[in-house]
Amino acid sequence: MQTFGRAAGLISAIVIVMVIFAILSDGLFLIPDNLLGLLRYMGSIAIVGFGLTVVLIIGEIDLSFGAVYGLSSMLMGVAWIVWGWSLWASILASLFMAVLVGLFNAFFTVKVRLPSFIATLGSSTIVFGLSLWVSKSKTYSPLSPPDGRVIPAKEISFFTGLSNYPLPFGVPIQFVWALVVAGIFYYLISKSLFGFHLKAIGGNQLAAEFAKIRVGRSKMWAFIICSVAAAFSAILDFAFISSVQIDNGSGLLFPTFAAVVIGGASLAGGRGTVLGTFLGCLLLAILANGLAVLGSGASLQQIFIGAVTIIAVVLDQATKGLRKAQ
Amino acid sequence: MNLPLEGISLVNLGKTYGDTVALAGLTLTAKPGEILGVAGPNGAGKSTMVKILASEISQETGEIFLNGETWDPWKHKNQVAVVHQEPQLFPNLTVAENIMVGIERSKFVKPTGDEVDPHLLEEVGLSKYANRLLGDLPMALQQRTEIAHALARSADVFLFDEPNSALTEEESKELFEWMHNLANNGKIVILVSHRLSELAAHCDRIVVIIDGVARTEIIGNEISEERIAQELITQNIMNSREIALNILNQTALLKINDWNHKDGVFKSVDLEVRTGEILAVIGVEGSGGRELVRSLAGFAQSSGTLHLIQSQANDKKHVISFVSGDRASSLFTNFSVGENLFIRVTDRITGKFRTLSRSHSRKIADAAVSDFLVKTASIDTPIRSLSGGNQQKVAIASALALNPRMIALEEPTRGVDISSKAEIYRLVRQYVSSGSAAVFYCTEVAEVFESSDRVVVIAAGKIQKILNVYDYVDAKALAHAITEIRSI
Repeated sequence: MQTFGRAAGLISAIVIVMVIFAILSDGLFLIPDNLLGLLRYMGSIAIVGFGLTVVLIIGEIDLSFGAVYGLSSMLMGVAWIVWGWSLWASILASLFMAVLVGLFNAFFTVKVRLPSFIATLGSSTIVFGLSLWVSKSKTYSPLSPPDGRVIPAKEISFFTGLSNYPLPFGVPIQFVWALVVAGIFYYLISKSLFGFHLKAIGGNQLAAEFAKIRVGRSKMWAFIICSVAAAFSAILDFAFISSVQIDNGSGLLFPTFAAVVIGGASLAGGRGTVLGTFLGCLLLAILANGLAVLGSGASLQQIFIGAVTIIAVVLDQATKGLRKAQ
Repeated sequence: MNLPLEGISLVNLGKTYGDTVALAGLTLTAKPGEILGVAGPNGAGKSTMVKILASEISQETGEIFLNGETWDPWKHKNQVAVVHQEPQLFPNLTVAENIMVGIERSKFVKPTGDEVDPHLLEEVGLSKYANRLLGDLPMALQQRTEIAHALARSADVFLFDEPNSALTEEESKELFEWMHNLANNGKIVILVSHRLSELAAHCDRIVVIIDGVARTEIIGNEISEERIAQELITQNIMNSREIALNILNQTALLKINDWNHKDGVFKSVDLEVRTGEILAVIGVEGSGGRELVRSLAGFAQSSGTLHLIQSQANDKKHVISFVSGDRASSLFTNFSVGENLFIRVTDRITGKFRTLSRSHSRKIADAAVSDFLVKTASIDTPIRSLSGGNQQKVAIASALALNPRMIALEEPTRGVDISSKAEIYRLVRQYVSSGSAAVFYCTEVAEVFESSDRVVVIAAGKIQKILNVYDYVDAKALAHAITEIRSI
């Protein structure tokens, strides 16, 4: 009921914002190409956002997914383009690295009992350092490999196809990927025993321990899932633009947090849904895209999106107070 | 037995459901002009009595007399009116039509609202609502329609069965005024309730029913909330002892030897928990008692030998379940009543691919709600909206849902209302009787006396003495024995 009310609120917000942009931009905003591009961007954030949702539900926080996003595309790119690994080995190595970062975060949060804010802030910096080291601060593209290296054309076309394969009506395949991932996360969060335990732990960790729920193990999986989701999204974005550079993922942290929080996940834990995060990402993507279409400039975009995030949370708390009063 | 010429008398009513004895010779009399209160823990037979008087079921033995004559519930049904928690009338008919149902003037023509005596409607304050659909009216007005329904049939006996559970405070007040009105007009009024404060405030006489018989009567000035509560708990203790004595002194279910806490909060403890018993551990904070009880469930790091007689059926992880004394660490406030009830269960609530099975989990929750008589609108109600006593019942029920070999509870009835208290005692007793055992950590002697068979007195990390609770006539004597030992 509560999730339903929130979804309805988000959908009406989305409709209102779209109408406003359509009017202000003289219909430019509604051009199919623009809307399709918006969906692609949204899909990219949503995949990361689903992973973050899992960590927030269990009552922890992950600040390292932006850096993981950066390192995973960089590691994959360097392994494939420079070191001469096969495409599959590069992708697997990148995902494996994400698993390791998740384990690292979990170890310091669960075993060493550091606040996850500190543990992931630290790991974020370490991971970014590794990115710098691996990349030697250069930009890589499979289309222009270093001298003497030849990337098989088959691999390149398969890889770029991951995010560029043409679908009917120009639907971006990255959006379809996001829908598939949404399905998996919906099962994880809302249908599986794992998701039930996530919410229990986020709601009351001590009670969960007394109920003999495996708190540490669930947290470990939550951190791993978040890292791997970021890596997966990074690889898809890499496939889309066919080049990888060092500042990849640096601007990802805030929009993702904003989208997930707008979607109703609580930083206090115990709350969050796939539908909410999906709609939150959509609203955020529309705002970013609409402001860009209006040519409002980067500064105004930032200010606006920050304000919207705060308003969303304030509104949520106000309506929650209202519900309790009733 | 001399039957009064006025009033209703139940004589030796008996009723069984399978192996369960609901009424075991219930005898009581209610006189015109008085409000008779009926108290008793859930399962005592109150609702069976109500159902017999409402002619929903028949007694197996015994008789009912009204004004000196045998009362046949089927022939004279209208003489006894039952006002339910949720009125059992027709929501799809108007108030007036509801009053006329069954006493229509004509056998052929549909009754109209006009047929109702306007004085009657005036009297119960329903004139304004005569032609409104009953289902559209608030619960209080629906109940008043039920009263009018009975008055139209010139009923003599008004039986109120937990009537104000769904009412606001204001509406309750009005309802009680109605009860007094009826009594003042010479009607017989019986109030069945678990709300002891209201029984104490409104009744002229109170009968306490336990295990299907009327055990005690409290009259006039003796009536107070504490007095009723005391009767309930005392009766419950006697009852528990009868059950417990049959199963005590059996084999040990759990043995610990040279049991040491990691930080030395308790040292080289030897203890035996017997099958079928409730063992209390009493000690002040810091005595090591709390940690000792937690350590049995694996929540305080300890070394030594712990031997538990296993049974095949138990899930290894949940051999000993624990419920903390603080509801802030035993319940999930972001969850519903149902989710709190099955959170500990894993195997029985999952289907393919570890998917939560809604139907399986609801079944577990529904069973726990009805076993523990949790007062909740549904299992989807948020846990926060329950009373403290009912929350505590949910916390304990969730531990029992796994059917663990043994349970360890901290102050299980601290801050719990008296009727929930009695239910918790009853259900834990029922659980240990099936070949398990329970260990309580207590800080109050009263709780030990009411709940336990044996008590371990712990101070400074050492067991000072183990006492049989039954050797002491009251809590005071037990307290004396406990403190005497401590001071040595």
